[in-house]
Amino acid sequence: MSRAAVAQAPDPLLDDRVHDLAKQMNCPTCAGRNLADCPTDTCAQWKDEIRAQIEAGKSERDVLNYFQDRFGPTVMQEPPREGALLLVWIAPVAGAIALVSAGVWAARRASARKRLSPMPPAIVSEDPYVAALEEQVRQS
Amino acid sequence: MTAQTQPAARNRKLLIGLAVVAVVAVAGLFAAGMVLSAQPGKRPAPGSPAPDFTMPLYEGYRAGFPETIRLSDLRGNVVVLNFWASWCVECVKETDALEAVWREYKDRGVVVLGVDHLDTEPAARNYLEGFGVTFPNGIDVQQQVSRAYRITGVPETFFIDRQGVVRRTVIQALSRAELAAEIEVLLAE
Repeated sequence: MSRAAVAQAPDPLLDDRVHDLAKQMNCPTCAGRNLADCPTDTCAQWKDEIRAQIEAGKSERDVLNYFQDRFGPTVMQEPPREGALLLVWIAPVAGAIALVSAGVWAARRASARKRLSPMPPAIVSEDPYVAALEEQVRQS
Repeated sequence: MTAQTQPAARNRKLLIGLAVVAVVAVAGLFAAGMVLSAQPGKRPAPGSPAPDFTMPLYEGYRAGFPETIRLSDLRGNVVVLNFWASWCVECVKETDALEAVWREYKDRGVVVLGVDHLDTEPAARNYLEGFGVTFPNGIDVQQQVSRAYRITGVPETFFIDRQGVVRRTVIQALSRAELAAEIEVLLAE
C-alpha cells in the first residue's frame, strides 16, 4: 500500500474527534448552525483545519483556542466563561432563582391571606320571621 | 409598628429585592448579547473617515509592507480595501481584476489591500497562490476589521481617498474597468 493511500485511509477515531470539536463550534456564515452539521464549503474548510491541527498533535483545547483567537468568541457554541460574558452564565440562574423565590413568596402570602380572611357576611333572609330568628342567633 | 406589620414590611423588601435580581439578570443577558455581537460604531458611509485598524499580513503577501499594516499609515494613497474569502464564489470573479489594478496603479499611489474574512490559512494561501496574487493581504483577526466596517458579506470593497475618507462602498464583485474608473476619479483629486 502506498504512503498516499495510508494517509487517506479513513480514521474513525480521528473523525470522531473532529466531529466532537466541530460540535462545540458555530458555522461562521450560517447564523445559529452547528459547524459539525453544516455542509457548506466554509465549514468543510474549518473541519479540515481542525483535522490538520489534531493530526499535527495539538490538543483539543489548543484547537479551540486557535479558532477563538483567530475568529473571535462568536465561533464557539458556548460563550466563554470569563469577563463580561460570564454574565451569560450567571444571569439566567440568578433570574430563575429570583422568579421561583418570588413565586413561592406570592403563593405563601395568598395562602396566609386565605387562612386569615374573615367569615363571609351572613345571608339575610327575606322572610321577616327567619331574619329575626337569625339576628337573635347572631346576638346570642 | 405592630407585630403583624413587621413581617409584611420584610416580605415587601424581599419581593423588591427579588425583582431587582430578576431585572439585573435580564439586563445582564442583554448586555452579554451586546458584547457578543458588538460592532463598534456605524457602517462607514461615503464621506466619513475610514475606521483605522492594524492587521497582520500573510507572509509572502506583504508587498513590501511591514508584518502588521496600519491603515492610517497609508494616508496619502488611494486605498482599495477589499474583503474576501477563499470560499466566496463571487470573490473569484474579481480577484484577477484586483491584481491587475494593483499592478497597474501601485506606483501611482494606490494600495489594493485584501482582508481575508473567516478563512483558514491553508485555504487562503491556496486561493492567493492560485490567482497569483501579489497585492498585500491580511488576516482579519477576531473579525476586528470586518466588524469596524460592518460588512454584510464578501466580496465587499471600500474605496478610500488620500485623506482617509471612505468615498464609495461596493457590495458585489467588481470588474477591472469599474475598479480603474473609481481609482482614476480619486487619483484626479
